This record gives sequence, structure tokens and C-alpha cells, in this order.
Amino acid sequence: MKKCLPKLIVLLLLCSASAMAQTVTGRVTSGDDGSPLPGVSVIVKSSTIGTTTDAAGRYSINVPDGNAVLVVSFIGFATQEITVGTQTTIDVSLNEDATQLSEVVVTALGVPREAKTLVYATQSVKASELTELRDPNNVLNSLQGKVANVQVNQGSGGPGSGARIVLRGNRSIQGSNNALIVIDGVPINNSTRSIPGSDFGGIQSSDGASNVNPDDIESITVLRGPSAAALYGSQAGNGVLVISTKKGTKDNKVTVNFNSGVTAEKAFQVPDVQNTYGQGIDGALSTTVGDSWGARMDGQSYTNHLGESASYSSQSNNIKDFFRTGVSVNNSIGLQGGGEKVQTYLGYTNNVVKGIVPNNDMVRHNITLRMSSQISKKISTDAKVTYIHQEITGRPRTGEENSPAMDMYQTPRSISLETVKKYSTMNDVGLAIPTAWPATLSSIYQNPYWMIHKTTLDEDRDRLIGFLTATYQINDWLGVTGRANLDKTMDQTRNSNSVGTILWASQPGGYFQKINGDITQQWYDAAIHGDKKLSEDFRLNFRAGGIFQDIYMESDVATANGLNVNNMFALNFATAPSVQTSITQVRTQSVFATASLGWKEALFLEGSFRNEWASTLPSPYDFPYYSIGVSGILSDLFTLPSAISFLKLNANYAEVGNGGQPQLRFQTYQYQQGAGNGFISRSPTQAIPGLKPEVVSSFELGLDARFLEGRLGMTATYYKSNSENQLLQISQPVATGFSTKYVNAGNIQNQGIELILNATPVTNGDFNWDLAFNFGLNRNKVIELLPNNPDQIFYLGGTNARSAVPIIKTGGSYGEMLSYKWQRDENGNYVVNPTSGLPIGTTDLQSVGNFNPKALLGLSNTFTYKGFSLRLLVDGRVGGVIVDGTEMNLAFNGITKATEAHREDGWSLGGVDSEGNPVDVTINAQDFWSAGQSSVSGKRYGVGEFFTYDATNFRVRELSVGYKIPVPSNFFIKSARFSVVARNLAWLYRGSSILDIPGLGTRKLQIDPDMSLGNGNYQGVQYGSLPSTRSIGCNLSLTF
Amino acid sequence: MKRLNSITHHYKRFLSGICAAAIMVSCTSDFDEINTNPAALSQLDASQLPFLFSKALSSGTNSQWNYQVSQNLFSDQYAQYFACTASSFGSDRLVINQNWVGAAFNPIYTDVVPQLQTIFEETDPASPEYAIANIWWVFAFHRVTDYWGPIPYSQAGVSGETVPYDAQPAIYDDFFKRLAAADATLKATSATSAYGSYDLIYHGDISKWIKFGNTLRLRLAMRISNVDANRAKTEAEAAVAAGVFTASPDDDALVDRSVNGGDGNGLSIMQWNEFRMTASMESVLKGYNDPRMAEYYMPTKASSDANKEDPANPLEWHGVRNGLTASQMNIASNLPNNNSQQGPRWTPSSLGLAGGVSNPLTTRQNVMATAEAYFLRAEGALKGWNMGGGTAKQYYEDGIKNSFLQWGVGDAAAYTQGTSLPVAPGDALNSPPMTNIPVQWGASQAVQEEQIATQKWIALFPDGYEGWADYRRSHKVKLYPPANSDNPLITDPSTQWLRRIPFLVSETQTNGPAVEAAKSLLGGPDNTQTPLWWDTN
Repeated sequence: MKKCLPKLIVLLLLCSASAMAQTVTGRVTSGDDGSPLPGVSVIVKSSTIGTTTDAAGRYSINVPDGNAVLVVSFIGFATQEITVGTQTTIDVSLNEDATQLSEVVVTALGVPREAKTLVYATQSVKASELTELRDPNNVLNSLQGKVANVQVNQGSGGPGSGARIVLRGNRSIQGSNNALIVIDGVPINNSTRSIPGSDFGGIQSSDGASNVNPDDIESITVLRGPSAAALYGSQAGNGVLVISTKKGTKDNKVTVNFNSGVTAEKAFQVPDVQNTYGQGIDGALSTTVGDSWGARMDGQSYTNHLGESASYSSQSNNIKDFFRTGVSVNNSIGLQGGGEKVQTYLGYTNNVVKGIVPNNDMVRHNITLRMSSQISKKISTDAKVTYIHQEITGRPRTGEENSPAMDMYQTPRSISLETVKKYSTMNDVGLAIPTAWPATLSSIYQNPYWMIHKTTLDEDRDRLIGFLTATYQINDWLGVTGRANLDKTMDQTRNSNSVGTILWASQPGGYFQKINGDITQQWYDAAIHGDKKLSEDFRLNFRAGGIFQDIYMESDVATANGLNVNNMFALNFATAPSVQTSITQVRTQSVFATASLGWKEALFLEGSFRNEWASTLPSPYDFPYYSIGVSGILSDLFTLPSAISFLKLNANYAEVGNGGQPQLRFQTYQYQQGAGNGFISRSPTQAIPGLKPEVVSSFELGLDARFLEGRLGMTATYYKSNSENQLLQISQPVATGFSTKYVNAGNIQNQGIELILNATPVTNGDFNWDLAFNFGLNRNKVIELLPNNPDQIFYLGGTNARSAVPIIKTGGSYGEMLSYKWQRDENGNYVVNPTSGLPIGTTDLQSVGNFNPKALLGLSNTFTYKGFSLRLLVDGRVGGVIVDGTEMNLAFNGITKATEAHREDGWSLGGVDSEGNPVDVTINAQDFWSAGQSSVSGKRYGVGEFFTYDATNFRVRELSVGYKIPVPSNFFIKSARFSVVARNLAWLYRGSSILDIPGLGTRKLQIDPDMSLGNGNYQGVQYGSLPSTRSIGCNLSLTF
Repeated sequence: MKRLNSITHHYKRFLSGICAAAIMVSCTSDFDEINTNPAALSQLDASQLPFLFSKALSSGTNSQWNYQVSQNLFSDQYAQYFACTASSFGSDRLVINQNWVGAAFNPIYTDVVPQLQTIFEETDPASPEYAIANIWWVFAFHRVTDYWGPIPYSQAGVSGETVPYDAQPAIYDDFFKRLAAADATLKATSATSAYGSYDLIYHGDISKWIKFGNTLRLRLAMRISNVDANRAKTEAEAAVAAGVFTASPDDDALVDRSVNGGDGNGLSIMQWNEFRMTASMESVLKGYNDPRMAEYYMPTKASSDANKEDPANPLEWHGVRNGLTASQMNIASNLPNNNSQQGPRWTPSSLGLAGGVSNPLTTRQNVMATAEAYFLRAEGALKGWNMGGGTAKQYYEDGIKNSFLQWGVGDAAAYTQGTSLPVAPGDALNSPPMTNIPVQWGASQAVQEEQIATQKWIALFPDGYEGWADYRRSHKVKLYPPANSDNPLITDPSTQWLRRIPFLVSETQTNGPAVEAAKSLLGGPDNTQTPLWWDTN
């Protein structure tokens, strides 16, 4: 009988609905931000009558009479009791209650679990924080500062750029360090087609995450450690972002959510330039050079490089004015509805983004249909289809190679933007050709407007993602679920360069390249799962099954280097088209089992095991991995002082593997088009027949505590992870016939701590003040790389250090930056040339720091008063360096602010010669920055130490003000909220250059370290990157 | 009982679920196939070997970007065929950028050696294919060893933690043996064609490869003439006897280039304003009123533009001195627009200069030409070697004639009798004439030697590899000293010049012990100033 009781209650609950008279309906929302709360329990006190709210927060309940008291409760929120009286509509606003901590989080494979039962650290981000202000480039960028030990770097490719999101430090040398992104239980394809890998630059294209539509997100959970995600195996070593998306509702009503937002953005930080001296060299005006070592700009009349009469005067805003005000408009509409049997969610979102670089625009449409059905008592299904169409036009290149930003920065300081805009002229046969341009290096740089108007870099993406899940509930504790998930991305990139484009259009007619790239991911899994109370005290939750995953990537790169008809950018005009095809496929199959055993809902033991067969590995292709963890809620197990309302300890250990990259085990020969019949050549990389899986083992210890009835909460975590057997591509003597080979080696360790504090300093009815602080620090150590060659250096990008290059080596830590430095003698004196008085650079590359921050911090304060809310997020990083390659390049030509001093007077650096004798020679700014081959700047290849900055910075990251507009209860609009959000408002602190140059001093950071050249492992250098932006936007959210 | 049934029922379901999972994961039979790239070849058959030869020819001569960083930025400047007009490149001021110059080393080992070795393994040593591959092996390696001196050679292409370097005398010895063997094999074969259309130089004509191999042997023999006179004489006489290049343009070696494989003509990518004609070339070509000037270089942009506006304005050619500083480069007469870039066959007509071709990437790239064979014979004859019975003067004039034929500039008869002298180039540094000899055959041996060297230097254009090697070997062409040196070891460019490329940093990193051992083979420190084995100047 005892066992039958729960069933009886459910039965009564179900039957009771039809038997009662008075109906009360309403909506339950979060008091924090007004968002609807689904799954809230609404029961009639002292009765068996009850219901739960749907996805729109709606409920409908029949009560016996007006004396009935509704008990509205939800995990994580303070329970409310409301007497019905004569009301038929009761809307309830629930306030968060930290004492309960029965929050549900979605874990690996999309399984919702009660947070308190977990043995590993999780942290959630509210969906509203991602939808209030959309980062027009990538939704991931909005996570910056909100989660402990999460570092986000924005790719420098404008709207839709791939972003780099690293949890708990870098561990992979040649693979990705990006967190795995899981949506509705399945990892998404988050690859980036093109990533700049050196400071020469390149094209930063979109990643898969940039397609994620914030409007569809219901919850987002960050699983920082691999233990949490061991079931995903391979890719989980970098941590996981678990995203759940919206579903339909069960209340036989239709809810319409309409969200409309507009955001404007401006360049936040552009290079600091001088506005005193104009185009010229040696202190004299000259229009034949691109340098700004000219005369003082006093408004003299002169004939400019176009032969026009012009005024030689300061153009202090030409860089700022070159970047336009970016505008992004976002409109989305979501319909949720359904009944007990079928629930439907329909969504459409439209984004129109105008980037800060002229002609760089993005349009994205996203449609989603989700249907969940309870087909029978035992069978339920859930199916979803998402289609995304995205068009990006005029994507700016990044880096030195003709990025519009770099080209603009190069413009001599006396040339007005109006003059720059005269980029093109007609030649005698009517073809548009570039006008004269005073480039500082005419083989690389040209008029930025030529790049903008006469070259294109367009990307179209069509992406279709669908899944179907079916669950058969065998009995009340055991079920079987099967799932099929397909994700197809179809990209087309078109790159055209008109006749006359330096570097790209070397052949007659111009240059055109079209890349078609398709990625198809298939994922099927089946599992049997159960949640069984084994006895009064023991409860077992388990899941076991198999997963099949297949990723197929194919791309065709068709290049027309030369077009028979000028500037006709289609392959049929090609003089001699060439095509390169690449095909890669990876298949993994695995069986897994995971189980959690709970004792008295207070002590939990959890373990998981997975055996994976990967097509990348040699026969028998398989390797196992596992995780194990324990957690205990001490506050339930023991009697603690009353100030401690909740105390939990957890510990876990995991070993996850990664099968490595495809197509490395067999030696191959490539065919390449070319003269005659083309060529066949052997791959210069030696195959690795005995490829081994990589292993990341990690340990984590966590403490979760709440004090003062939950007014103060704290989560502290210590972790340590070791990444071993990494697949490394190492150089070997080229004389062997192979330039590189693969080895499995290394041991890279990350350890650190995370601290999250939540407090509610003030709460009294209408006014609430919440405070959230997160802090993370990570220490990386390269314990071993190659046992037989401890001196081997691994480059995390191009080996050709123009400004600096990130590397790792044994005994160091990931991301050490190597560059040339200013030579010091053994006493630490700067060494200068005794004749010229100029600095002497080192002849070898030396360390100037590490690109990783020592710590990351974020502090958010949220104030709510009645319908108003105000949230302020301040965040920052401590430590780490960034090398400003842009400044290095520009300093050579007298463009940067620092080159302004000592042009006319000169000064002595002091210093000593190589014998240690003091030197006192007067130099001037032009000598200092640009004389000689190994000069300070060197232009494209310089002494990076002079341009290395402490990347420590703090800023006002986000400020949002929201107002919940009151609506009459019977109005057709059910709720309305208006918010204004600003990002990157102001620097609070910026680091300085690491060198204090005698006579010149230090300089403040003039780039935003959040920006990176690309979202690969080549970090720590900026070179012609787009500036980050300051944005302000408003958002209106309506529910009907 | 019912309950028991239910439990069994559940366990059956559970088991069937596990079985389903097991069935799913047991399908690993096609994993190797999945892991194989269908867009690449996993194994080669005999019909694919000729493609390897095409690759070896194409990469062994450097194309496009590789050409710039292996040759243009180094030997082309040191042979003074081009001077640099971009301030951020220091190599014209005698500083070696090791990241770039690796392009003259690495592709030979990764893109030529594996291809040729596969051919050696898969073909009959008595076959013409084997012999021609052997000739190409020598061609590819002689350029490498003449940059660095000792290089990995005898163990090239062999796997290992390190690959040892060989001393240059041993390498040259092997060169001569291979070339002699190839000559014998090619003469013994009844075949007339090898590699067919896959041969990007002679399109299968074996008789041309015989001449190519022997001309190369003659070149290498002359290279060692100052250090091993006897061997030089023996090899040179044997090479001439076996038959060297005699008729331009038929015998000349040029390699096919294409627009669509990244294998375009290397010189054609120099349309960026980075390289210009040298003052040396201007002094000599203008002084001799040499018609090859308009083939080697374009009229200046300034004169070309002026000429377009009014045809009365003459087209002009100008050059600059090597080794200019950034400030010197900014002097008006040194600006790119006022100087001549590479000639019309390497310049797109779309650039709007007076001249050019529609698609210079496909211009065949010069490898080795007949004129050189005659100049080598002229020098040999001066040394008293049996160079086929002719006099030094005959061979000297035949060299000039064949060079004129090669560049299609008509009859050289009048030119060979020219008495005009090189002129002052009128450059910003007020350089004097480069030298004071005419074209007409001189009376003294010293003048004759300089004449042969000077005409050979002109004729070798644009082969900077050979131009620089021959300059170091003979030191008879009186090139201008570079205007400036940023190389601390070259404090006086009028008495010092670059002797070699130091061992690559990338080699010290990957092949360290071998590089360390190779230093003892140098006969001096590992820097730019230690002469190679055959360089006795």
C-alpha cells in the first residue's frame, strides 16, 4: 500500500480537475527579472489538488471555494501562500530563495538533475542575460565576466565571428581549447572554417556557436570540469556549455513572446595616434611616402598625392570616423502552446547587423519548430527542427594582410578621410583602378576604401538541425530513450578582388574564389534509464546505452586567379580555374553507463564509464574512460550552527579520452593542379600508424555553502587537470624527406581555484539588492613535452615572429610569448649602439610574458525596486601580457602617439655599449622608432618587447536598466518589459607597457585584450585586429 | 508470479537494449576506410610516377612565393640582378632572414627528394627515367650546397633523429659520378622519349636531357676549378666531349609554369614595388647599348606614364644601387616609380606600363641556357682545356650570340664588336661606371677574363643562384659594393662580400647534432663570411 500511495496521489490529482467548481488561472513569474517560471507547483493547501505551470509560467487550477489557499512553490524560490477569495486570476511573482538550493540543472546528454545531487561544479547563466543585450558578433561574447574561470576572446572578423571560450585554462597545443557546446543533449558542430594563425592575419570566419539563437535558449549551464561531461568523452576535456532550448506548453493556451531590440555600437578602443606631424620624412613634408615623419601640420597648403591642392592639417578623427556606428536590430517572435497530449513551440528570429566596418553586414533568419507529444501513457516524443540562413557580406580581413583596419591606421596623419575616399579612378579603357596611395609598404597596404568597395568576402550559411527523441516509459522508474540528431551546415564563401588589388589580384581580370563547405553530423543514441528508490534511504539513478556519432566534412575550394572578363566574379569567367577538394570523416561509437546512488538525499556517489571506438585510431580502435565522484550535504547529515543554512562538499575524478585527428595514420600523396598534368607529392608530414588517444585526467574538490538563511552563498572549487599523450606535430630534420611528424607525448597541468559569492545585502518587499561575485585563477605548468628533447619549442601559431609568437616548452606554462627584446648587460643596463645611440635588440627570441591572465574576476550588482531593475557588471583580469603588433608596425612610420615626442629636440637613451661603457648619444624619434634593420619597430618584423603590455584591465562590462511595464490584468498584453543595456562602458583600469623607455616612459594599453586575431590557439598578439566596441541597446519584450 | 513475469519482462527489455547498443558499436570494419581521405592517394602505381617527376621539376626550380624568399631576396640581390626598394626587407643590406631563406632548403628535401627517391626505387637503373631523375637530383642539390656549403646529402631522405651533413667535396664528387652515369645510360638507351608530357622542361626529349646533364657537369667542373684544377679539367673536357648545349633557344632549359597550381613563374610575382633593376645592370647594359635591357626590365612607370600622354616622351630605364637605407630609398630618383621593374614577359599588361604579357604566371621560367655553356667553354679554353677545338674568343662571341637568340633580340654580330664602355648610371649616389671594359674581345687575359665573366653575368639573368655562385667563384665581375651593410661582419662592403648563407636556425632546432658536426666541415665559423670549399677568393 505504501508503494501505491504516490500513484494514488497522482491519480487523484489528475481526476480532481474535473470535479471542482471555481477555476483560478494566472501566471507565475520570477521576481528577479519578470521572466515566466515553468514547472512551478501550484497546489491547494491541505488538499490533493495541484498543478504545475507551463513554459509560459501559466497555470489553471480548480479550487473548492474562496477560502482555498494556493501554495505556490518552486525549487530555488521562496514559497508563497495566497488566499483565493473572489479572484479568478492570480499572478504570482516568486522571489529567489537561496536556502533551498533545489535548483535543477541540465547535465550531460540533456538530463535534468537536481543540483544538490551533483558531484561536480556547475554554474548557470540566466537566459535573460543573453537576450537583453545581444552581442552582434557571437552569443558567447555575452558570457564574459559572468562565469568563474571562463575566458572569452572575440574573434576579429566582425558580425558572426568565431569566439574563443576557454574554461579553466588552455590544455591543448594543437587541438582546440574551446569548450564543447551541447544543445538539447547533443554536441553541436562548433568548427571554424578559417582562423588566422599568425600575425600576418587572415580571415576569421564564423563558428558554429555564433548561430545559436539566444531567443530559443531556456537555460545555459557551464560544466567547467571534464568529470561533469565524461559521457561526451573526447571533446569534454575542455568543459561544456549545456544549453537547453524552449518547448511548448500544456495549458491549452497560446502564449506569444515578442522581443525586439536595437543595439548601436562604436569602436571602443582605437590606436592612439599623434596629430602633430604630417605625411613626410626627416621632418619635411613629402607626398611620395606613407610615413608621418613630416613637418608640423600647421594648415599649410600643398599639393597632395592625388595632385590636388590640400591643407596640411591634423586629421585627428580620421580613424574614429572611418569606423561607422554599427547597428544591430533583432526581432523575434515565439509561440508556445499545446495541451496535455501535444505541445508546440514555434519561433522566428531575424537579426540584421551593420558592422562597424563599412559594407560589413549580416542578416540572419532562424526558424524553429518543436513538438513534444505524449503519444500514449508510456510513449512520449520530442522533435525539433531549426533552420538558419545567414548572410555575411564584406567580412573584414584581420591582421596585417590588407585588413581595412590596418590599411586605415596606415594612412598618413595629414590625409583627410574625404581624400582617402577617392580610392578609385577610371583608366583609359574604362576600368576602375586604384588611385595613387601613399602606402607605407606598397606591396601590402592599400587604400582601405579600395578594400571595402573593390574586394568582397561574403559568407552564406544554411544550417539545418533536427532531432527526434522518443521515450518509452516501461514503468514508473524505468524508461528507454532513443534519439536521432542531424546537423548539417552548408557554407559558401565568395572572395573577389578587383583588378588592381594589391596582394590578391595579381593576374589579369581579377581574382575570385568560391568555397563550398558542408559539414554533416549524425548522432544517434539509445539508453535505458531509471530512477529507483531502492529502500527508505537509498535511491539509484542510472542511464546506460550507446552513442553513434559521425562527422563528415567536405569542402571544394575553386579558385580563379585571373578572369577573362575584368571583374566578373563568377567561375565561368575564370582564365584557369583550379579546385582543391578535401574530405574528412570521423566516426565514433560508444557504450556508456552512468549511475548515481543517493543515501538519504544527502550523500551521493556517482560514476560513469564509457568505451569508445574511434575511426581515427588503429585497430581495435577503442579506449575506455570514466569518472567517479562523491558529494555530501553536511547540513543535512549533521547539525550545524544555525548561521549555516546549507553546506555541501563534493569531490570527483575523471579521465576522458580523445581519439585524435582523422587521416593521420596512413601516408598519403596529394594531387595538385599545375603545369603539365599537375603534380603528385607526398605529404610532408609523416604518418603516425600507432596513434594513441589523448587523455585528460582531472580532480575537483568543491564546497557549497549558504549562510544566514541563504542571504549569503558561496561556492569554492579547487581543481587540477593533467592532459597527457597529446597529439603533437613536431618538426623533424627536413632532410628525412618529412618536415614534421606526429607523436603522442606531453603532460600539461592546469590547477586553480574558483570562488563564487552570492549575497542579498538588502531585501525588503519592494527593494532587493543582489550581489554576485566570481573569481577564478588558473596555473598552468608544462610538466613534460618530449622526454627526449626537453628544449623543443612548440609554436601555438606561425613560427615567424613578426611581433611575438606564443609558444609552450617543457617547464614553462602555456602561452609564453617570445619576441626580440632590448639587450641588457649582466648588470641590467640597456645596451645601445655606441655610434648611433640606438637600442640593440637580442639576436634570439626571448620570453616577454604569458598571454594568460593570472586571475579573472567579475562582480555584478542587481538592484530591483518594484518593476525596476538595475544590473551592473564590472569585470577584469589580472596579469598576462598582450603584444601590440599594430603599434609596432605603425610606430615605424611615425603614426603612433608615442612617436610624437622628441622629433625636434632629440634625447639620449643613455645605456651602455657591449663592453659596458656608458653611451651618451643624442637621437631623435625617427631614429629611435625606425632606423636600421633591427630597429625598435622594424615595421613588420620588430623588437616586440617595446610593444608588450601588461594586459591587466578592469572595465564596466555591462549596465542594464529594466522596467516591467504594468499591464492591466485583462489586457491582451500579459506582460511587458523594457530594458536598456550598455556594454564596454568604460575602462576602470588599463595596464601599461612593460618597458619604461628612458626619455619616453610607459604607455597605457591602447587595445582591448578581449579581442584576438582569431579564435585558435594563436593568442597574445593583436595586429591590425578590429577594435572592440562599446554598445548601447534597448530591448522590448512582450508576452501576449 | 505476475510480478516475477513483469521483472523478467523488464530484464529482457533491458538486455535487448544493451544488445542493440552492442550491435551498433561492433561495426568497426569500415573504420580504416572512413579514416582514409578519398581526395588523396594512399598508394602509388607505376602510372603515377611521372607526376612525381613533374613535382620534382616544379619545386626544384622554386615558383611564386618560394622564388621570392629563396632567390629574389638573396642571390638575385647578391648577383645584383635586382635591388630592393622596400625598406622593411634587410637582406639587400646583407642581413640574412633565416625564416625566408629556408625556402631554398626545405622544399628540396620535402618536395624533390621523396619524389626522386620513389622514382629511383620504382624504376630500372638502366632506364632513361632513372637517369634523368639523377640529373635533376644534381641540379636541385647544387643550388643548395652552393648556398650553405655542407648540407645533408648522402643520407637525405633517410628517416632518423638526425641526418648528417656531408662535406662539399664529397657532394661534388657524387654530382660528377651521377652526371657521368646518367650520360652513359641515356646514350645507351634505345628510347627517344621519357616522361613525355610530364617532363615540364623538354617534354620527353632525351637528347636534350643529355645536353642538360653535360652542361650542368661543365658548370660544376668550372666551379671547382680554383680548388681542384685537375678534376675540373677532366670533368669539363668529358662534359664537352659528351655534348653540351650548342643552340639557343632549342637547347635552353625552361620549366613550364601554370596559373592555377600555385606554381606560377617566380619572377612574375615581383610586381609589388619591392625590387628594381640595379645600377650595375644599368651601367653595363646602357653602356653597351644592349638590346637585352628591354627584355630584362620594363621602362620606368614615370616614363611609361609620360609616354602614354605624349609619345614624344621617351621610355626610360633606370636602376638603383643595392643596399639602400630607408632614407635613401625615399630620394626621388630611387623611388620605385622612377626605376625599372622586371621585364615584360614577367609583367602583366594590365599593370598599364609600356609592355607586358596577359598572363605572366604562365611564362616559362628560365632554368639553364646555351649561352652559359659557351662562356664556360671560353673560360676553359683560356685555361688551356680542350673545349672542343675552338678559341676562347669564338666561344665568348658564341655565348653572346646565343644569349641574343635566347632573348630574341636579333643578331649580335655588331654588338660583339662593340667598343663602347659602361656608363655612370646617374643614380642618387653618383655611382661611377661599373667597369671600363668594352664588349669587343680584349687583348690581355685579365680583360678577357673580366669580359667572359661580365657577359656571362649578363647572360645568366635572371638566375641569381648561378650569378651569385659564379661571382663568388671567379670574382671577376666588378659589381658595385652594396651602399650599406647592416651585417656586423661586413663593415666595408667594398672589400667584403657575402660568402654563404649560415646554417638554418630551423636546422639547429630539428637537426642540432648534425649541424654542430657540420661546423667542423666549414673551415671557419658558421657565418656569412666563411668561404665555401670552392671559393678561394
